[in-house]
Amino acid sequence: MKIRFRLNGRWIETEAQPFQRALDLLRDTLDVISVKEGCGEGECGACSILYNGKQVLSCLLPAVQLDGAEVWTAEGLLATPLLRAFEEEDALQCGFCTPGFVVAAYAYVLNGGSEDAAEIRRALAGNLCRCTGYTHILRAVQRAVKEHHASSSEKRG
Amino acid sequence: MGRFVGKPIPRIDARDKLRGTLRYVADLKVPGMLHGAVYRSPVPHARLKGVHLDPGFPWNEFVVVTARDIPGENRNPMILPDQPFLAEDRVRYIGEPILLLAHPDPRRLRAAFAHIHLDLEPLPAVYDLEDALRPDAPRVYPPDNLFVKYEIRRGTPEAVFRQPGVQVVEATYRTGFQEHVYLETQGMLALYRPGDDIKIVGSMQCPFYVRNALRALTGGREVEVEQAPTGGGFGGKEEYPSLLAAYAYLLALKARRPVRIVYDRHEDMAYTTKRHASVVRHRTAIGADGRILAMEVEVYLNAGAYATLSPVVLARAILHATGVYHVPDVVIRGYAVATNLPPSGAFRGFGAPQTLFALERHMDFLARNLGQDPIAFRRRHLLKNGQAFPTGEVMQQAERVQAVFQRALEVSRYRERQQALEAWNRQHPNRRRGIGLALFLHGAGFTGSGEKKLASRARLVLLPDGTVEIRIGSVDMGQGTLTVLSQIVADVVGAPLERVRYATPNTRYNADSGPTVASRTVMVVGGLLEQAGRRIRHRLEAALGRPLEKPEDYEEAVHRLFEAEPTALEITEAFRLPPGVEWDEERFQGKAYLDYAWACYVAEVEVDLTTYQVKPLKFVAVQDVGTVVNPLLAEGQVHGGVAQGIGFALMENLEVKDGRFVESRLAEYIVPTALDLPPEFEVEFLYRQGDRPRGLGELPMDGSPPAVINAVVHALNTEIHRIPITPSKLWHLLHPEAPR
Ligand code: FES
Ligand code: FES
Repeated sequence: MKIRFRLNGRWIETEAQPFQRALDLLRDTLDVISVKEGCGEGECGACSILYNGKQVLSCLLPAVQLDGAEVWTAEGLLATPLLRAFEEEDALQCGFCTPGFVVAAYAYVLNGGSEDAAEIRRALAGNLCRCTGYTHILRAVQRAVKEHHASSSEKRG
Repeated sequence: MGRFVGKPIPRIDARDKLRGTLRYVADLKVPGMLHGAVYRSPVPHARLKGVHLDPGFPWNEFVVVTARDIPGENRNPMILPDQPFLAEDRVRYIGEPILLLAHPDPRRLRAAFAHIHLDLEPLPAVYDLEDALRPDAPRVYPPDNLFVKYEIRRGTPEAVFRQPGVQVVEATYRTGFQEHVYLETQGMLALYRPGDDIKIVGSMQCPFYVRNALRALTGGREVEVEQAPTGGGFGGKEEYPSLLAAYAYLLALKARRPVRIVYDRHEDMAYTTKRHASVVRHRTAIGADGRILAMEVEVYLNAGAYATLSPVVLARAILHATGVYHVPDVVIRGYAVATNLPPSGAFRGFGAPQTLFALERHMDFLARNLGQDPIAFRRRHLLKNGQAFPTGEVMQQAERVQAVFQRALEVSRYRERQQALEAWNRQHPNRRRGIGLALFLHGAGFTGSGEKKLASRARLVLLPDGTVEIRIGSVDMGQGTLTVLSQIVADVVGAPLERVRYATPNTRYNADSGPTVASRTVMVVGGLLEQAGRRIRHRLEAALGRPLEKPEDYEEAVHRLFEAEPTALEITEAFRLPPGVEWDEERFQGKAYLDYAWACYVAEVEVDLTTYQVKPLKFVAVQDVGTVVNPLLAEGQVHGGVAQGIGFALMENLEVKDGRFVESRLAEYIVPTALDLPPEFEVEFLYRQGDRPRGLGELPMDGSPPAVINAVVHALNTEIHRIPITPSKLWHLLHPEAPR
């Protein structure tokens, strides 16, 4: 079936198969390789995408449901304070979980998440990282929230 | 400390990883590529009398490979020659590879599996290592199911145990299997080129190990092997990728097309290597003054069906069995036991986490039994300079052990917290808090004569455009090799960091710097690169006519050096043992490691007496690993290692039922999430001016499990001798009367 959706700010038209996962359509058809398969069963978060403003696991999402959606992946989330925070706090090691965390963190900041460590931990609990032990990721997200607040209050003021 | 070394520089490959543009092996697009799959034994032990393919099935669509297609030797060249690449007439574990398939459509592969039939004559099987040691046990590895047994001995412990007035304390400690859960599953791509010149690209720690395996498989071909960006390894991609590369190679050879095999998570968890489950028995002789006089330690590792790296894992295990303590009379025996399970293999710590868990728990257990304070008890037994380890190696760094111990007690405010938590417990009937520690070491680099035999080489190439290229086989799998080695090279050569390039590890173009394992990369390979860099610097300074001082000097010097003749300057250095380092591998006597890292970790935990959940509240990790090349990356490595240790101690339960790992999906095998780690986490590195790096990667995995469990023991005032201690296991421990 033909589907049409916005991917990283651009409208895309493509063909989706009935039993295809969004993960495979993104990776195989559109070469969006930041979306990783870590488990294929909803346990690791490596396949996370920003789907209509929310973090969604693309390994559990039928490809046809991309139709009409607004989708962002790590490729499209460049040049945000979040990326600098991740880089400078060393919130990544092997990098395989990283795009998924970028999406999760972006969704958190976007949806008005606070600097509270416990709240951030809860928000990230659907993403597994086997390398970092999460502490640096937590720091990066805290910093991104701070910078986000600072820049949005600047705009307001 | 230089311009770059010692600085918290963000990792060089961070941006590509953050944007998600770095291509791991599963992300590579290869025209005409087939997907490969492995058909495995459904039974744990049997004679394999035949493999039959349904005549009605369209096999001509598929590429089918069996052991008969192997051009060279059907033996994986490991320590013992026991493991075939593909089973021929015997299978020894559920999941042992028998046949390989490739097809353009991955979904067709599973369908084909249903049309393969095996003629099997079942044999009795054994999974538990204690069962495997019984005289009437099924024979996995004749004659006695022992791949190897080792002994380290010093003094006459038997005589001490017989002395009158000696108190003997015994305890047995057990640790479970552990799965690596690198986030990227195993994956390998074989690129077919004319003339059967196949190139292997994949997720791996040791490109040269893969090359060696393919040399045996092909009967002597030099196959080009290249590392793809690797999504975590932790030892799980040390030896296993050699098998996977062999499978991809065989399929590509027969198909004359590129073939990729990427395991799904279940296949990866069910059939690739695990950390060896262990049983460690301690018998300790205590004198009238409450001092340890002698120890007898027996270490058993469940090695699975083939030996793989078990002999060296066992060697490291027994060499860490008495840790940083002085035991005048001691015997340590080790056994690598064969069972009908997937082969165990390398996993961060490599045997040391098992014996250090036992030891650091045992030190607490002994102290409690003797009515002594665990800290004072440890302090009393610390090796002093001049005293010997069981290997006869003489302690020369006692003050470093004292320093990490002291500092960890200070940073954690151990005494104060101990009392505060005990008071807290009196106020909270349904929760218990406790504090515990572990004091430990990790030998850096290969064990014994390993580094001598490896004879690693490292190469630097200065290109006429001023780029310095690092050409080695050591990989970055997330631990930061690419960044820290670039920092070292930039400093010693005198180049800006951007001028250093880390060439993709490749066996055809790079020097064999040995495997990326054993916390050896910065110490050994970094050391070789420093030597090579110094030679390049001399050449540059000679061309410049004065020392390189200001950053601009570098470009000037490069210009002068290549003015006359623009040919790249290539320097390769080879490892040589420092003089006086001797190792007797029969008797386990001499210098076991080139150097050691020392550490003391402190954990605070809370146990919920309604859910039996253990929550780490606070963690303090103080270590001396010599010079820290990049404190930011090093801190992250400690965080990650401790997280794996906490998982090992509290969560990561892997049971065996009828020859299968029960928890072979991420829904069942529980690894720590952001919610499971201590909210407070302090990491400190102690080192001195002029120190050299001494290995960090594995250290955090060694000490975190006993520190956490000692804290649980303090909280509950109940001894724990077995990990992981999941909530249900803890409940059973506290309710021994309850039915199972
Ligand atoms: S791949 Fe989707 S959650 Fe793991
Ligand atoms: S950085 Fe390796 S899994 Fe997160």
